[in-house]
Amino acid sequence: MFGYVRARRDTMPEGAWENYEAVYCGLCHALKEGYGQRARLFLNYDFAFLAMLLAPGEAAGVSGCRKCLLHPVHGKPACAGGPWLELAAAESVVLTYWKLRDTVADEKGLTRMEARGLERWLRRAYCRARECCPAFDAQVSAQLEKLRGLERTGCASLDQTADCFACLLRAAAPGTGEGARDRVLGELLYHLGRWIYLIDAVDDLDEDRQQGRYNPVAVRFPQWSEADRAYLRRSMDHSLALAGAAFQLLEGNAWTPVIENILYSGLPGVEELVFSGKWNEQQKRYRREHP
Amino acid sequence: MNDPYNILGVDPGASDEEVKRAYRELARKYHPDNYQNNPLADLAEEKMKEINEAYDAITRSRSGGGGQSGYAYQGQQQQYQQQYTYQQAGSADAVFAQARQYINMGDLLRAEQLLRSADQQSAEWHFLSGHIAYRKGWLDEAAQRFQTACSMDPSNVEYRQALAMMQRGGGNYRPAGYHTTTCDPCTTYMCISCLTPWGGPCC
Repeated sequence: MFGYVRARRDTMPEGAWENYEAVYCGLCHALKEGYGQRARLFLNYDFAFLAMLLAPGEAAGVSGCRKCLLHPVHGKPACAGGPWLELAAAESVVLTYWKLRDTVADEKGLTRMEARGLERWLRRAYCRARECCPAFDAQVSAQLEKLRGLERTGCASLDQTADCFACLLRAAAPGTGEGARDRVLGELLYHLGRWIYLIDAVDDLDEDRQQGRYNPVAVRFPQWSEADRAYLRRSMDHSLALAGAAFQLLEGNAWTPVIENILYSGLPGVEELVFSGKWNEQQKRYRREHP
Repeated sequence: MNDPYNILGVDPGASDEEVKRAYRELARKYHPDNYQNNPLADLAEEKMKEINEAYDAITRSRSGGGGQSGYAYQGQQQQYQQQYTYQQAGSADAVFAQARQYINMGDLLRAEQLLRSADQQSAEWHFLSGHIAYRKGWLDEAAQRFQTACSMDPSNVEYRQALAMMQRGGGNYRPAGYHTTTCDPCTTYMCISCLTPWGGPCC
């Protein structure tokens, strides 16, 4: 995904941040164990969020310290693995792979060459990962293909293009046979996917305009006035409200306070930064402070 | 029924005030206003029923078994039904009445098919198309359809309510500690205060 799904430390309840770091660390280990060291390079917070959503009620937040190349002496607190963490790891490899394929198909020059190299580098890991989540793999491929088609024809419907990414993300929670849980997770992920697609479009707006590339927000709002911005933000906040309302119907687990923080504080904070044009600057600062 | 204390998330030794506080927080969370037109409204309704029953059971047992229930959830149930069921009588056109029925049942595909064959120039067509879009999560299209329905028939209360819902941007619930968004006292306090079991503001 795109790295927009972040928690906010300043608003996080006491003790919850450790669990957040532990699931991130646990996912990193799951990637290494399942797909080798190289898969770790593609680790991001978005899939840590997915892992927390998929975690069962009985999973412990922190389960001891684990050492790695970055933390060889003391290690870092990590959560214990399980099928839910393996699924999140497999899905992150599958989506990363298809995103790279997408870049190869869409871009030109150096970006394309870079993506092609990474795609080949990740291919073996992808082949293993798709066996864990064949339905997700099929859905990602189909939805990205559909999205590419819509983008090529300059689709003017914001909802129609966002629907592709929203459906893709909804497929990340496979059916468990528990009707209520499946519906709730599906709704939550749909609106999260819609929000991610739209925030990414707003974030890329200036660059896409300069390069003459398709951007769904530019097509829907040619003037991009203050009123347009307010309207789109309201629509995106509406998606966050619907994702939050769905989340409240899920059974809790060790990461409930973290997920709540992301939905009610982290994502609105990211939205504010992107709309005010400060997101990229903040990202650079974050990378400097958290190498 | 499961353990009522477990449902409210309190210890059996909790004071009456603590039980009430836990109940209020949960009732605030699953309040019908937060799930208006939401495809998951039925699940929120079940939750609300469950916590109302749990609260009733605790207050009854604490008042000696035969006392009056702490909160009559029946009233709440009726509210849900009023809010989520379209009135069949609201539509003069048989096709629209049928489409409303499909929307209520969550069968959006058949509702959409029906609307394709209906009069696409009417305000009601735009209103119902807006509802289908909303259920699908197509919020931009929903807002545009409701806006068109309102422009075509500004006096229709149903259409205006739908547009107002889009302008409010979904439910108002935020968990404790995340109350940073300001509540508009006119739209939130006035509307919600009469609906909450404690007669106070929603947040």
